[in-house]
Amino acid sequence: MTWRVTPLTRSLLTVIAWILSLAVLTARPDLFVAVLPLALVLATLAVRPSLPDYLVTHRISSDRVFEGDTVTVTVEVTARTAAPLMELYEPPAAPGAVVSGNHRAVMTLRPGQTARWSYEVSYPVRGVYHLGTLVVRVRDSWSLRWAERRHVEGKRVRVHPRSVPLRALPRPRRTQTSVGDYVSRAFGEGIEPGDIRQFAPGDRIRQVNWRASLRLGTLYVTQQHRERNADVVLMLDTMAQVGTASVTTLDAAVRAAASLATAYLARKDRVGLIVYGGVIDWVRPGSGRAHYERIADSLLRADVVFTYVTKDLKLVPPRVLPPHAFVVALTPLLDRRFTQAAVDLVGRGFDVLVLVVSPVELMRGTLGASSIDQLACRLWTLERRARLDEMRRHGLSVIEWNPGEPLEAAIAGLDRRRHRAIVAR
Amino acid sequence: MRQVPVPAFALLLGVLTFRVAPIEPVVVIGLAGMLLVIVGMVMPWRWPIVTAACLFTTNHALALWAMDAPVSIFGAACFGLAQLGLLQAADLRRCTRAATVGSGVVRVQIARGIAFAALTLASTMLGTAMAGPLSAALPVTVAPVLAAAGALGVVIALAMAAMSAGRGPSG
Repeated sequence: MTWRVTPLTRSLLTVIAWILSLAVLTARPDLFVAVLPLALVLATLAVRPSLPDYLVTHRISSDRVFEGDTVTVTVEVTARTAAPLMELYEPPAAPGAVVSGNHRAVMTLRPGQTARWSYEVSYPVRGVYHLGTLVVRVRDSWSLRWAERRHVEGKRVRVHPRSVPLRALPRPRRTQTSVGDYVSRAFGEGIEPGDIRQFAPGDRIRQVNWRASLRLGTLYVTQQHRERNADVVLMLDTMAQVGTASVTTLDAAVRAAASLATAYLARKDRVGLIVYGGVIDWVRPGSGRAHYERIADSLLRADVVFTYVTKDLKLVPPRVLPPHAFVVALTPLLDRRFTQAAVDLVGRGFDVLVLVVSPVELMRGTLGASSIDQLACRLWTLERRARLDEMRRHGLSVIEWNPGEPLEAAIAGLDRRRHRAIVAR
Repeated sequence: MRQVPVPAFALLLGVLTFRVAPIEPVVVIGLAGMLLVIVGMVMPWRWPIVTAACLFTTNHALALWAMDAPVSIFGAACFGLAQLGLLQAADLRRCTRAATVGSGVVRVQIARGIAFAALTLASTMLGTAMAGPLSAALPVTVAPVLAAAGALGVVIALAMAAMSAGRGPSG
């Protein structure tokens, strides 16, 4: 920490030199007197002040928030020696925006005095943001010198994608053996009543259907349908994206993935994640609230990494992509390599649903209203429709979702279409 | 509240000069200085305020010289204090712009300013009282040279003090 002269000192010197020059030129003693207050203040530079001693504490209200939520940053300064004028500044990590208060503070502290200052910052887009780098600038009594120090208290704020509640979800065609919310055709343990049959040794008394037994004169038991869960693997396309900052197809796909993960986990399914792009990242299927945190952590790091190399899904371990898993691929369909990977998965016997995040409307928002731009958008829409039809011919269930509309509306009625497609095959 | 001191000190500088010479050119130059002060308040630049301070000084010097006004030690000290107040207030305003300002900041600055003004005025009066007998002993031909040399010496001494303060030890 070093004392440095402030611009005010230079300003004072300039004005003093000017007044003295005029005083000599005009031979007016008044001006010599006028320079006195300025010169006296500057003369305090000859006295070397000691560097102030203080303690800075930096706190944040939460280290995990959702997109658009606010984080309250509180800074507490305790002065051990007097600090005549103290400036504190914390740059908010982009694209964070200060929504309440200021991220700069100016205070005067007596020895032993504690001052607190807080402000609220909001992050519109998912990500990991660093806070806690504080620039403290202390000035002397007349603001002629300042000393600057950086305080780094590494704080990370994880901004998770905001998920929306989904009541209707695409139903997996195949289930696993663990207990879940899907009613199986097979009989076994469960609460959904199926058929009745005659009592057999080994049946429990509570399974006895007393009404049927009394009517038919012999013991009958009620059979229940088994309730199973499913393995759902969300596959996120990070090959390419379009749109403006915070409103890209990838951001929309990440929000959709977070919503789907939340909804499937609430139905006791095991949910996994594959981030398919220049770098392949994955989370093994699992269930529970802690598992959602793992998926969300992976989602908030998801970013487009361009590569010419086509990543093979054979690289993904079978534990991540288990047999009979229901794969939900989220893609803007901008890179054919992702489409090929989805078709390969169908070839390997996976039940694949492609949720296409439409980039057309996002792109239209960034373009002008000229007829050529509109024509280009229409042609692009037609070309994309042709591609979607081609994918359906390959046996993929495809739904297109415009990020401006609710996700639930896009996936509503999907199961009926999937059922019709199965029957047709 | 923090907007008030800067134009107030600029106005005071203009009024002090207008009292010396109530003529149109003084008003015009004073208004030009005020305009520069407003520019310095609105824009994030520092030079308009320094230029305004120099313009007010030039205006004051020209007024004194043109009117051949009698020497007023009190008026000159007030002018110097107003110059200091203008520069300090502009600097504080820059410092507190878009910032959360602690309750004691403005209060401490005002208290320090008032104490310093009282001290300066007292010491000026004392210096004036002592300068009377001292000037009688000084030869008339040496006085301008001594004044110029003294002025240069003060500027050099202050500049050196500022430079040495800038090269202070690290702690």
